[in-house]
Amino acid sequence: MTPGALAERRDLLILVLDSLVPASAEFPGAGVVALDHVLAVAAASADLESLLSRGLQVVEEAARANGVSGFAQASPDDRESVLRQVERSHADFFEALVRHTYDGYYGHAVVVTRLGLDPGPLHPRGHRIEAADLPDLSRVTARGPIYRQA
Amino acid sequence: MATDDRTDVLVIGAGAAGAAVAWRLARAGIGVACLEQGDWVDPRAYPHWRADWELHRHTDWSAEPNVRRLPQDYPVNDSASSISPLMYNAVGGSTIHWSAHFPRFRPSDFRVRSLDGVADDWPIDYATLEPFFDLNDRMMGVAGITGDPAYPPKSPRQTPPIPLDTLGVTMARGFDRLGWHWWPSDSAILTRDYDGRRACVNCGPCDLGCPIGAKASTDVTYWPKALASGARLVTRARVREITLGPDGLADGAVYYDREGRVHEQKARAVVLAANGIGTPRLLLNSRSARFPDGLANRSGLVGRNLMFHPYAMVRGVFDRPLGGHRGPIGCSIIGQEFYETDPSRGFVRGYSFQVARGLSPIASASGGSVGDRVPWGREHRRAYDERFDRTIMVAIIGEDLPEPANRVDLDPALADSHGIPAPRVSYTLSENSRRMLDHGIARAREALEAAGAREVAFNPLLRAGGWHLMGTARMGRNPATSVIDAEGRCHDVPNLYIVDGSTMVTCGGVNPTSTIQAVALYIADGIIRRRA
Repeated sequence: MTPGALAERRDLLILVLDSLVPASAEFPGAGVVALDHVLAVAAASADLESLLSRGLQVVEEAARANGVSGFAQASPDDRESVLRQVERSHADFFEALVRHTYDGYYGHAVVVTRLGLDPGPLHPRGHRIEAADLPDLSRVTARGPIYRQA
Repeated sequence: MATDDRTDVLVIGAGAAGAAVAWRLARAGIGVACLEQGDWVDPRAYPHWRADWELHRHTDWSAEPNVRRLPQDYPVNDSASSISPLMYNAVGGSTIHWSAHFPRFRPSDFRVRSLDGVADDWPIDYATLEPFFDLNDRMMGVAGITGDPAYPPKSPRQTPPIPLDTLGVTMARGFDRLGWHWWPSDSAILTRDYDGRRACVNCGPCDLGCPIGAKASTDVTYWPKALASGARLVTRARVREITLGPDGLADGAVYYDREGRVHEQKARAVVLAANGIGTPRLLLNSRSARFPDGLANRSGLVGRNLMFHPYAMVRGVFDRPLGGHRGPIGCSIIGQEFYETDPSRGFVRGYSFQVARGLSPIASASGGSVGDRVPWGREHRRAYDERFDRTIMVAIIGEDLPEPANRVDLDPALADSHGIPAPRVSYTLSENSRRMLDHGIARAREALEAAGAREVAFNPLLRAGGWHLMGTARMGRNPATSVIDAEGRCHDVPNLYIVDGSTMVTCGGVNPTSTIQAVALYIADGIIRRRA
């Protein structure tokens, strides 16, 4: 498998990612925000690139076997059905694909923001927790010691 | 081979225990040199400073050396173990990535044989260690609140407890409804500035390190003081073997420096603090005509009786946001309702509930330590939103019992980057531990439901949960059934000390670092007394 083989299947990859995490009213699809991450991790590992690239080939072949000319021509329902087929037949590929898709998607600033969190580094900002009184521990202490003397 | 200046005491390993010993000895005027195979962690290098911080949890900041594969790591063959060992090789050791949950062992933990007829009693007890617990608390800085009825009275905590926040208050309500014990966790994380260190900013992922030193990793607690007291610390120094003099006493160690050159460090005494896997590995690699089966291993027990704390993880999903991404990831509440033995439960000894925080965005998608990934496809976003920021994770941390078949030995083929044979871990979860975890899962479900969870899922045994490495060079009075004596000295080599988790006779049902460090300080005190 030549380097960049996955990038050559970029259009198919976008469709697959969008099937894994479709766009909704408030959130973009994974084909938009997870794509760069998936391509980047694949570019950093020849094994992963090969696994994903071959997996996409299987996706395309499975779509054709289902009677359409390719995954792109399938309806959203049929795409999901094809992917479920491939998930069963090529578990390693699918496991890696979903993992890196979720990593890229939920690590992306746009998604993190829509989840209601501040994107970007955790430091130096941290998180604010409102000050509160110490909890009422009277019920717990009322029982007296619960440890065994030894 | 280069020969370094002879020192009074050579400490091998700069983690939780090694740092404590080095500080205590140096402060008493004893010459200390410490060899650490890792390096200092630059606070600016922590992933918290980067937007993609969460991606590093499963790559270069993984707690698993076999995943991380940094130059300073060594491989561990864990294919015959149901739990993967976790560790970090750096100044600070595994306190770099620990969650800093800081409970002590309870008095009964040292008297398991006498009280429950299993395993063995320790040759020391809670009362003996109490002043060392207190000293260690002051050095590490503990957030907490006194008065916990699960323990004998403790000295004042250094700062107020970690804030419970919505998540902790919710879970406490569940325990209260059931009438069960709970208490704000003792945590080695500052909630106020203390001893020149800053207070926690509640960023969350302590497991990736703490970039501001609010969490008590020993690179920011003990080591600055140890170095100021004259201790010498050599980093990227990987020890190959401990050497013996003609008198049969330990006289130093041979190590590789960061350029791969071989050095010899001579010492009057050697202290091993390389963790419950690294220590037996080094002893087994230190063979000689006098010790053909490994140094200090006439009992045959070096590497045996490996104990992890087996973890089961139980997650509740609630109908409202809980703010679980805020605050130290592993510290909120401890519950010890089922800690002491009750024969009616069908197992011996017991466990704690460690209530952790919620999951960050990526971990929420992958299922975190429960591992049930959010389904992909058209239902994905809805399923994700039902879970994100609405979960509470309860860890069941069970007391493992020592079993000789659970062990560390040397792998016949695997080696580290210097060609030193790597450890091989063999571990099977015992029937007692299985029953204990099953009991804990059922009780955690009750507690979560009492707190309002509408859905509960669990992982019956967390594979990537080998945070605590214990028992592989255990303490005891009888040289036939233990490796070190009650003062931490190897029965076979009386100037060779062991101070890390290997020493533990039994492992309690709580995180062990507080107790490991107290034992280390106690052993250091003995070294000082004998020298005087």
